[in-house]
Amino acid sequence: MTQTHAPTSAAPVSASVPMIQLKVKVLRFDPEKDKKAHWTTYDVEAQASDRVLDVINHIKWYMEPSLTFRRSCMHGICGSDAMLINGRNRLACKTLVRDVAKSGGTITVEPIRGLKVEKDLLVDMEPFFDSYKAIMPYFINESPAPAAERIQSEEEAERMAHSSNCILCACCTTSCPIFWVNGSYLGPAAIVQAHRFIFDTRDEATQQRLGIMNQNTGVWRCRTAYNCTEACPRDIPITQLIEEVKRAVMYGQA
Amino acid sequence: MYRGREGQWAFLLHRLSGLAILAYLLLHVFSIGSFIFGERFYMAIHETYDLWPFRIGLVFVTAGVVYHAFNGLRIIVMDFTGFGVAYQRQMWYGVLLISVAAFLYAAWTLYPRLVGGY
Repeated sequence: MTQTHAPTSAAPVSASVPMIQLKVKVLRFDPEKDKKAHWTTYDVEAQASDRVLDVINHIKWYMEPSLTFRRSCMHGICGSDAMLINGRNRLACKTLVRDVAKSGGTITVEPIRGLKVEKDLLVDMEPFFDSYKAIMPYFINESPAPAAERIQSEEEAERMAHSSNCILCACCTTSCPIFWVNGSYLGPAAIVQAHRFIFDTRDEATQQRLGIMNQNTGVWRCRTAYNCTEACPRDIPITQLIEEVKRAVMYGQA
Repeated sequence: MYRGREGQWAFLLHRLSGLAILAYLLLHVFSIGSFIFGERFYMAIHETYDLWPFRIGLVFVTAGVVYHAFNGLRIIVMDFTGFGVAYQRQMWYGVLLISVAAFLYAAWTLYPRLVGGY
């Protein structure tokens, strides 16, 4: 990078940071006006190190206040801002502009697929959470609790280390080609959650959950397209976990 | 178009080749079975198979069957072993290579039929 003058203390910091020009194409839909979703392009100036969420916030705050989307913690923990960015599901707050576009380039932003679009980038998450509830996502152990903790070995904890990382952002489930055409499929996120309890040695409802996984909305709908694994912002090896659940169902053990 | 990687295309090709094989099988059963309606009916059907789309289709059916079979083995390895998932990408390129080889071999051996008919 060439600079014509050395930054002085009087100059604002932002003046020394190179800005890049972006075209941000957003798939917008207003249920009160539109019959169909349509693309709208916004010209935005951003830094390469900005997050895509910063760019979308900029559009909402300074250009188009009606743009609707979810975000909460903005640090990749709450899992609210899953979006289809440049053709792949990602968290807008964990995606840097420089990783998806060069200067003068285009960023496309769409709502995640397979769920009903309420407005712009906001989708109805109810079916997703219904699938989550269906796998009984809570600790079940009817035996009397010991005086202290229920002890697990390190190896036993390791067994569920990946699946307990899930933040339920729906990046995986809405990247699944089976889920797009078959909404009754529980989806990768619910199976990852089931994996977390099935392979928890302290939990006693393993057989019940394996039964749920064995139903025709369960684990056998997975056709190993690996989109979920590519999409997961927590780097959970989702397909591998689903395959583990498949084998647990088949061999009737966990 | 969702920008999935190899796994998505492996799945899509597997589904498409499966449907193509099913269509081919049903057509095959029907055209062979059509002999119960007499020889003239049977021959009328089989003469249409001499049209060029069917001749070229034969090469694609061969490649489709080989792809479906070898990708099926890839899926079995993934379903039954832990390392299968880790090497699914490399295995898929292997499957593609075998399918292309089968396509070329079928095109080579069927070449006289492709250009000259039966």
